[in-house]
Amino acid sequence: MRLGKECLNWALALGKRLVPLTGRAEWAKEWRAELWHREHGVRSVREGRQGALSLAYGMVADAAWLRMDWAQSCARGSAYTCLWVLAAYSLLCVAVERVAEGSWRAFAGVLATRFLGSFVFVAVPAVFAAMVTYPLRPLRCNGAHGGARRLLSARTRWNFFLGVKLGLTLLLGFLATVVATEPARALAGARGAWAADWLELLLSALVVTASLRWALLDQEQRCQKCLRCLRQPTRVGPPSRNFLEWSGVALACEDGHGLLHVPQMDGSWCWYDLWVERDSGFTGLFRS
Amino acid sequence: MLFGRQAGFSVRLIAITELREKMSPGKLSHSVAILLKALSLGYQFGFEIMEMTGLPSGTVYPALRRLERDGLVTSSWEAEDAALKESRPARRYYELTRAGREAEATATKRYPLLSRLIPEKLGKAL
Repeated sequence: MRLGKECLNWALALGKRLVPLTGRAEWAKEWRAELWHREHGVRSVREGRQGALSLAYGMVADAAWLRMDWAQSCARGSAYTCLWVLAAYSLLCVAVERVAEGSWRAFAGVLATRFLGSFVFVAVPAVFAAMVTYPLRPLRCNGAHGGARRLLSARTRWNFFLGVKLGLTLLLGFLATVVATEPARALAGARGAWAADWLELLLSALVVTASLRWALLDQEQRCQKCLRCLRQPTRVGPPSRNFLEWSGVALACEDGHGLLHVPQMDGSWCWYDLWVERDSGFTGLFRS
Repeated sequence: MLFGRQAGFSVRLIAITELREKMSPGKLSHSVAILLKALSLGYQFGFEIMEMTGLPSGTVYPALRRLERDGLVTSSWEAEDAALKESRPARRYYELTRAGREAEATATKRYPLLSRLIPEKLGKAL
């Protein structure tokens, strides 16, 4: 009995460390109330040492679940997660290609040949066209939002993230193209090398277009402050017959930094998505 | 400007998919179905649910958290005065939301024997 109680105390202490800080006090309060029933309740679940062990396991499992859920919610849609995923897929492609080539030297040679032979001819004009046609909007990330100051300004982080994401997306596109065309090259042999080159060129054009499109669209749907993906889409405003009333979708930052208003019908007076920063009066409703 | 329309379409798609995933009968495991049934019959806090369903604490509590996160269950603390009257700490009570009741109805359809497993709560259980 004493061993069971010690085990439960140990589990409670461990659980308290595992649970994220914001919910720690409430978690401990709930479990203390539950443990009270074990000791003083009319009935109890599986009394004795086995019951105590089962309950201790449950306590730790509950705390671990809360920690995991918190970590997942922090990572979900964050800029770091996006970059890590892109980098991980790129590394996977590198590993596959390295295995296919057999040595690092051959691998480097293939990459240089393919990059300078076809990919660069597609990627450079596509990036140039994307940059030139990227819609100019009113200033964003003007630093009006309060909160903790960081080393880099919001706009610098926004542009830095966009640059790194574009770079990684294009790198992944290039590596994926190289890996995907490898079987075609093996099948075509030396005689059909020209056909494989054309296939690679076409595939590169497709991949670059899709990559740039995804990277820019993804950037449009991120919080201007913390760069997390915006969520909770909500329809706002009724559709108007004369198109003069605003209607569309509002997306919110989970941390409450602001809202992005996406018009359903673009007009001369609402041709861009409008980012509205949260007023400081709503601070208590959000995590930060 | 294509961004606005496409963003609107994609966010609608995400919202519909998320809702379907939460409400999908395929996602209702047997233990979650038992939990929903117990809550619908009036069992309100962890120990009581464990007692009536026979499920271990390692299943009940994480499942309750997940259901609360997904909006199928809501929780509230018992008033301190009410707990003090019975000389015990305040409990955290769980109850089904509207979406939770719908999920419970789906679960009962899927597992018709659930109603026989758990008796309806009569007065104070513990």
